[in-house]
Amino acid sequence: MRKILLIALLVAVPASAQLPGLRRREPAPPAPVQNTIEVLRADFAAQAGGTTVYFAPGSAQLTASARTLLVNQAMWLRQHPEVAVRIEGHGDPTDTRDHALALGAERSAEARNYLILLGLPAAQISAMTWGKERPGPPSAVTTLVPPPSGGPPPMVPAAR
Amino acid sequence: MTAFRTGVFALLGAAASAAGAAALQPGQPAATVIALPPMTSPDSGERGNQSLAYAWQATQLIEADLRQTAELMPLSPDRKDYYSYPEVTAPTFSKWRDRAAKGLITGFVQQRSDGRLTIGCYVYDVDKGRELGRIGFVVAKDDLRRAAHKCSGLAYKELTGSPGMFDTRIAYVAETGAAANRVKRIAVMDSDGYNHSYVTPGGTTVLTPRLSPKAHRLAYVSFQDGLPQIRIVDLDTGHQQPLLQGAAMSFAPRYSPDGRQIVFSMMLGANSDIYVVGENGGRPQRLTTSPGIDTDASYSPDGSKIVFESDRSGTQQLYIMDADGSNERRITFSTASYSSPEWSPDGKLIAFTWRFGDTRRIGVIAPDGTGELTLTRGPADEAPSWASSSRELVFQRTEANGRPAIYRVSVDGSAPRKMTIPQDGSDPNWSGTMD
Repeated sequence: MRKILLIALLVAVPASAQLPGLRRREPAPPAPVQNTIEVLRADFAAQAGGTTVYFAPGSAQLTASARTLLVNQAMWLRQHPEVAVRIEGHGDPTDTRDHALALGAERSAEARNYLILLGLPAAQISAMTWGKERPGPPSAVTTLVPPPSGGPPPMVPAAR
Repeated sequence: MTAFRTGVFALLGAAASAAGAAALQPGQPAATVIALPPMTSPDSGERGNQSLAYAWQATQLIEADLRQTAELMPLSPDRKDYYSYPEVTAPTFSKWRDRAAKGLITGFVQQRSDGRLTIGCYVYDVDKGRELGRIGFVVAKDDLRRAAHKCSGLAYKELTGSPGMFDTRIAYVAETGAAANRVKRIAVMDSDGYNHSYVTPGGTTVLTPRLSPKAHRLAYVSFQDGLPQIRIVDLDTGHQQPLLQGAAMSFAPRYSPDGRQIVFSMMLGANSDIYVVGENGGRPQRLTTSPGIDTDASYSPDGSKIVFESDRSGTQQLYIMDADGSNERRITFSTASYSSPEWSPDGKLIAFTWRFGDTRRIGVIAPDGTGELTLTRGPADEAPSWASSSRELVFQRTEANGRPAIYRVSVDGSAPRKMTIPQDGSDPNWSGTMD
């Protein structure tokens, strides 16, 4: 349910974009009312300097630039305690399936743990892994989760 | 799917004591030639003609099964070699010795008044003129195919000493759509490609189906609730449920050889360890505690040991422990990575994915860490799973165009062969022999 909602929000963005080659004589349609979450996402990405931290292949260790970005993300999140985030970890594309799942989970957990270390409440941040199911480089992506109209975001137990 | 009735019936003829599983020519590199004259029928008249058509169908199915193997070479069934019903149990061995056959399969199909078929198969050692084994079934006409697979399995077992893999199932992840937005569904089929069906609808990413030993149940990983978690399906009823309560990420399930337990990986914070739980869930028992990623556990066939991969040394390597988590010991030592191990059903080998740089290949190694052998060249092979014969494996190969396909390869070193499936496929898993 929550996932379906998320996808619907994502496709709303390109639909509202102007395609340069397709300008018509008709007056431009009224600007669609942007969903709050999209405004927040754009603001988060702009203020924090990005949503994605990158890792060396095979590693779940946060690099210096990853920590810098997470500090900036934490500063924004501290000002928006009502916004929940989900950190999506990605494994290495040439890894085997299950190790990629575990490595992606380690990466998202490391990013989450650092945000908690910076003082954010654990309940504000969930973590999950896509393993190698989504193409792209080894990374952890901090995604703002839509408000819980479709149920609460998934939570994982905190590291012990 | 029609239920398979293994109604035992009294086989005709004198009850020759079934000789043990004597391999005919052990150690010979060439395949064993096996005679397969068209099966016969005791029925007569029009009914007899129908029965002979069924018998011919069964004979061809057995021939196709045996042709798939590296060990057996069937002589093409020839209608000139037709034999009478009494000759099922009294074959003319000299005729087959002349054609260099070491083994012989005879059999019959009889129609019953209830519309079902009685099928009997007999396997002989041609040199010694002796029966090695027999098997019989009463089946619905639709299940003639499965009965024929059982006959092939008997012949394979009696002539090679290994259980066959003809009446088994293969589960895999069916993949469609663009790379950026793959639709993944769990698919299950009989190992001959029949009875292909989808177990999950496709709206949710799913991974790593693992069949229970007799292919009645299936464990897999689903992102249905937003993160990877193991679910189990009863393939007979279609009933599905999560394996565990709670919101932890769980993956890499595998059944124990008796089917009663599932060993799997679970994340606790940033740590992946191996756990075991009853096949219906309950409270998991933790088996490994190392920092780092321990995953892809697989039982030895007697259930006493577990092989798994761990990156505790810095790279993924294979380790073996007792089933209670004690006695961990490392069995691979090299600069390459070793992952996704699966223990062979005869216990003699462990298959794995070998990885160095971006190259992935399938290999095997003995449980004591000796005899390492590479079976495929890659460059993007992974996820080996054994046939119940322990002579063959299925695996996933990502082809040059980036699309994954299912291949099978024999441990004898012959070239891998692509399997025919309706779309792309990944994460194959081969079951044991069905009931």
